[in-house]
Amino acid sequence: MTADQATAEVGKHSEIGSTRRSTGRASFLQVVRVIWLREILIYVRDRPRMISAFAMPVLMLVLFGEGLGNSIATLPGDISYRQFFFPGMVAMQVLMSSVFSGVSIVTDRQFGFLREILVAPVSRTAICFGKIVGGATLALANGLVMFAIAPLLGIDISLEIVAKLIGLIALVSFMLTGVGVAMGSRLRSVESFQMLSQVAIMPGMFLSGIFFPVNNLPVWMDVLVKVNPVTYAVAPIREIALSKQLSELPADAPFQITHVDWFGYTLSTWEELGIVVIFGVAMLTIAIRGVRTVD
Amino acid sequence: MEGSNDLDAVRTNLQDGIVSSSVQVAALSRSFGEIKAVDEISFEVGEAEIFGFLGPNGAGKTTTISMLCTLLRPTSGRATIGGYEIVDDPEGVRREIGIVFQDSTVDERLTARENLVFHGELFGMARNDIRPRAEQLLDRVGLLGRADDAVITFSGGMRRRLEVARGLMHWPSVLFLDEPTVGLDPQTRRSIWAYARSLRDTEGVTIFLTTHYMDEAEACDRVAIMDHGKIVAIDTPERLKARLGGDLVSLSGPDNEALAREVRDSFEIDPRFENNAVEFNIERGGDFIPILLNRIQGEVRSVGIRPPTLEDVFVSMTGHQIREAEASEEDKLRSMHQRGFGRRGG
Ligand SMILES: Nc1ncnc2c1ncn2[C@@H]1O[C@H](COP(=O)(O)OP(=O)(O)O)[C@@H](O)[C@H]1O
Ligand SMILES: [Mg+2]
Repeated sequence: MTADQATAEVGKHSEIGSTRRSTGRASFLQVVRVIWLREILIYVRDRPRMISAFAMPVLMLVLFGEGLGNSIATLPGDISYRQFFFPGMVAMQVLMSSVFSGVSIVTDRQFGFLREILVAPVSRTAICFGKIVGGATLALANGLVMFAIAPLLGIDISLEIVAKLIGLIALVSFMLTGVGVAMGSRLRSVESFQMLSQVAIMPGMFLSGIFFPVNNLPVWMDVLVKVNPVTYAVAPIREIALSKQLSELPADAPFQITHVDWFGYTLSTWEELGIVVIFGVAMLTIAIRGVRTVD
Repeated sequence: MEGSNDLDAVRTNLQDGIVSSSVQVAALSRSFGEIKAVDEISFEVGEAEIFGFLGPNGAGKTTTISMLCTLLRPTSGRATIGGYEIVDDPEGVRREIGIVFQDSTVDERLTARENLVFHGELFGMARNDIRPRAEQLLDRVGLLGRADDAVITFSGGMRRRLEVARGLMHWPSVLFLDEPTVGLDPQTRRSIWAYARSLRDTEGVTIFLTTHYMDEAEACDRVAIMDHGKIVAIDTPERLKARLGGDLVSLSGPDNEALAREVRDSFEIDPRFENNAVEFNIERGGDFIPILLNRIQGEVRSVGIRPPTLEDVFVSMTGHQIREAEASEEDKLRSMHQRGFGRRGG
């Protein structure tokens, strides 16, 4: 071997990172973090998706707020329909964006990237949590952005309310994203995901108190609304977002417009949240099982 | 070895000079319903060996790789990689291997660098290692200048090079390449091969690739010929070709039947009819032709001689051509015909 060859040989091996190193094992949180980060990165780069996610509920607010507002005149006190609808719209935004986030598993599969993830030496549960935390973060951000227009509607929002809402919406997002991920891990095409999520979201949305108070309904509808888990996510958001207005309601208001009634028993905010958590844990379990068996 | 589930019983003739194996496969099978995609295959791959799976589309190459990569459960059989069993310890296996799948698996919305960094983090590489390693690999595959461009702007060849780089991020001891050069331009094909060799030489990585290109199989240290889920032969390309018994001589004239009879009678050779000619294999064919022409009475219009190729080995082992995928319509019909009727035991 000549001197030159020898130098070249040595050079090869001393190159940064070229010698073999034992790789560690990514911790659960590291995996969640990297999967989460990618979800955010991809979303932020997709401007049209960001803009339409924001435009949709604003459009609804204008159309429904004006149209329905004029025909629904049965809200007690000084609360306008637009004010009533606003927290519902936030909930709707969170619902849609949570469930739709599950589509990322389907697109990952379609573009092959899912295999890159599945072949890594990491736990599937961590991958599932990464997807859920990613989707929930986006849903939370989408929901919170809506509060920028609250003052325009004459809704009084304090810092304390915002802080409570962040916690609340984070929880709701996390729970609802489970639905999207559970679906995404089982469906093979974006089209079927979109169809199914619409089938799931539509009744979830219209039978939930997003558009109208959930009490004083005809019996058949009352049953459907109270079976719908989304109802129990919408109510607390409205209770907190409108807490100032609600506290100013006269004591003899004809009915209460936020809390869910069960056969005359009025659920507290905590009880409603309890139902959200139970539903969420069930969805989470289904989602984890889905991601575990994905191939 | 047939039916054996015992890894220790697997002793295929490793390449000369290689003592230890990094991949051991014993009676591995996978069925999809009625289809036996992989049918009791057993083999070993030596450390730092370039090992090739050669077979037509549908032979079971990808299914085998999927099982070895722990993405698909075998129906039966066992395999270890770097000492880890694929069913018992999939995580151990995954740390040992890097994979370039047949179909692209890069995220085209991310940049080249982001794809590598994501991979490094997912594989639990140390923080300080990830960026230098990504830089080094991007440089090696000639993508450093495009490191921060979204992959969506990359050509097919660039994507493939990026996938090779990504497969190597976490210092795997075995790199799987499933049809790594399909659809690539000759220059990219060459560069991927040059890179594979340098990897093996400098980092001692075992390279396990599948291909249906003969020239690529020739470049492997050892080749397993696969057809209909079975390994029909496994050896170095040279030894495989040597099994055919020397150069391929073909001769034709107005009466091929008569020529064949003469060859059989005068030289105790059993010729075949192939491509409208009489064909047979013989050692040192160049020396043989003058003798042949001296002895033969019938009219010979053309004589051909060439060293045997792996294609010939494949045909002799399986009774049909390998290149169905790229074959012309006429070739396709012929190979269908051969499959149906002209099947020789392989
Ligand atoms: N997921 C699957 N479901 C059903 N059949 C499959 C599946 N994957 C592969 N096969 C069948 O198994 C056989 C081998 O396929 P494959 O391993 O992809 O071959 P190759 O990679 O050599 O072209 C083919 O007949 C193919 O149709
Ligand atoms: Mg294949």
